[in-house]
Amino acid sequence: MKAFRQLLRAVAAPLGAIALTLFLGFLLVASIADEPVLAYRELLFANFQSLGNFALFINRATPLALIAIGIVFAFRAGVFNVGGEGQLYLGAMAATVMGLALPGLPGFVLLPLCVFVGIAAGGFWGYIPAVLKVKLQVDEVVTTLMLNFVALLFTSYLVNHLLRDTTTYGAISWTLPESVWLPSIPGVPNATSAFLVAVVLAVLAWVLLFRTVWGSEVRAAGTNLRFAETVGVPAARRVIEAMIVSGGMAGLAGALYVLGTGHRFEQNFSPAYGLVALTVALLARVHPISALVTALFYALMLNGAAYMQIATDVPRSLVALLTGLLVLLMTARLRRQSSRH
Amino acid sequence: MDLVTLPAAVLEQTVPILLAALAAMITLRANILNVAVEGMMLVAAFTAIAVGDVTGNALYAFAAALVAACLVSQILAVITLRFGADFIVAGLGINILASGSILFLLERVYNSPGGLRPITFPDIWHLPAGALSFVPVLGPMLEGQSFIALLAILAIPASFVFLYRTPTGANLRATGEDEAAARSAGIRTDRMKALALLLSGVLAGLAGAQLAMDRLHFFLPEMSAGRGFIGLAATLFGAGTPWMTAAASLMFGFFGAVGDRLQAFALPSQFVLMLPYLAAVVGLTFARWRASTKGRPAAITETKV
Repeated sequence: MKAFRQLLRAVAAPLGAIALTLFLGFLLVASIADEPVLAYRELLFANFQSLGNFALFINRATPLALIAIGIVFAFRAGVFNVGGEGQLYLGAMAATVMGLALPGLPGFVLLPLCVFVGIAAGGFWGYIPAVLKVKLQVDEVVTTLMLNFVALLFTSYLVNHLLRDTTTYGAISWTLPESVWLPSIPGVPNATSAFLVAVVLAVLAWVLLFRTVWGSEVRAAGTNLRFAETVGVPAARRVIEAMIVSGGMAGLAGALYVLGTGHRFEQNFSPAYGLVALTVALLARVHPISALVTALFYALMLNGAAYMQIATDVPRSLVALLTGLLVLLMTARLRRQSSRH
Repeated sequence: MDLVTLPAAVLEQTVPILLAALAAMITLRANILNVAVEGMMLVAAFTAIAVGDVTGNALYAFAAALVAACLVSQILAVITLRFGADFIVAGLGINILASGSILFLLERVYNSPGGLRPITFPDIWHLPAGALSFVPVLGPMLEGQSFIALLAILAIPASFVFLYRTPTGANLRATGEDEAAARSAGIRTDRMKALALLLSGVLAGLAGAQLAMDRLHFFLPEMSAGRGFIGLAATLFGAGTPWMTAAASLMFGFFGAVGDRLQAFALPSQFVLMLPYLAAVVGLTFARWRASTKGRPAAITETKV
């Protein structure tokens, strides 16, 4: 019962920020569009008008949800993980490399391998800032932020020079063998089944964080590292482990995107998923299940904007504008958990 | 590699990075990691082109760019200092909001989401060729540079004087080093932080104006190209001191200038572009490592009794 109320609070709290943003957005739309109601109806409901639209909506929500759930782990451990984007890219790239390197393997071997290297690559990219933070007190915001650019440039090099599909235009890798493609969700063609993984992991994450000793130690480390160490919790270790999980989740998001949606690595496949997921995690009051719900909401807006642009004269960049507003309004009350210096 | 044009190319790459770095440095000294420099630069660049397009006056465009960037910086100040938002999240939010609203305006008002290219645009003052021919090396490097570039170079000693030789600068640094102590000493720390953000806005505005007005005279949505973050990296690498930050910016500007040319030597540009970010991480780690070894108590050598 307490857990349910906790979840309810986590879901209810961001609703205010969302409602305010949608209201401001409506004022903006009403001032420029001839049919503001139609625009908003498209924005919010066009995703459910056809099975195809619904599949695109699911595909958009999946990476957001996976990264955001990972970021919840980092936050709970008191680490501000701005590095979701880099971890995502490395995970996607690692899965792609694995799939292209051993195309002869049967799918049931190669698919888990691809997923595993994706998680490992993302986890490694989360491990570096965690160790630097724990051992040397290097500010993790800086390191995760800077390592994003390193990861983006590195994958850009690989896709442009080593894996590039020379038969097409653009920085796109060769297509992965069909044996590693993820199946769609039964009944919804083209919707990645990775979404089901995200749903399972959201629940699992909640259990891990709130119903296990490990989770309580992670949260203790996040609340007060020194104190946790003093009372005998291996807090430094827990922080590092939580960051590996966090990076691993983003890496998983990348791997599953490649295996389930893209079927190859594209240089600009992410519309800043990492950053949006960070705000999703914050908006969800750092709760894994609420993070899943918030990710769905964001995906709804992101895709709905495209339909809104087709149906009315409202440009789709309205959503980017609203996202920025939402981030600003939403943080206006929420303080960062880790105290800096 | 062309050794004659290289110094000028390095300086051209350095100026926006240097201005962004100084913008991030001022706030860093007030203990604010300013990730919004990128957004402020973008807003300034867009405003410069938009206003220059309408008025046809370079000075108006320049002033408007600075004002716009300062406005953005004060939005950030209000939302963080007054409403207690987190600096990182709000700063990244400002970036999204900046590029989002610019894109919105481009689509809605100008009907060209790809960018803004006025047919005619007023030129800004550049140092005429031959004006400094009596100065060896530096002369030819500076000739043809915009007045914003000259301001950028002047901003290095100016920020040094401000931070270390004025009472306000001292208060600002005190705010950054120990906010509670500074407050109990009677410093209005929130004002200091707002001031730091305002100065940051001025410098970021200069950076954006330089990007848009120096030679290109048009605006592209991806124009700032991460320079705000490279500047942040330069500041962190330079430990937040003016001269070291400037040196780091020059180094990163050099990477930028040789980056394209190195492809001829089969060194992919991505690895050169990576260097600023790697340098920031390595530099910070090294600084922390030195601090941690220094902070350790001296080894006790056993003496025989």
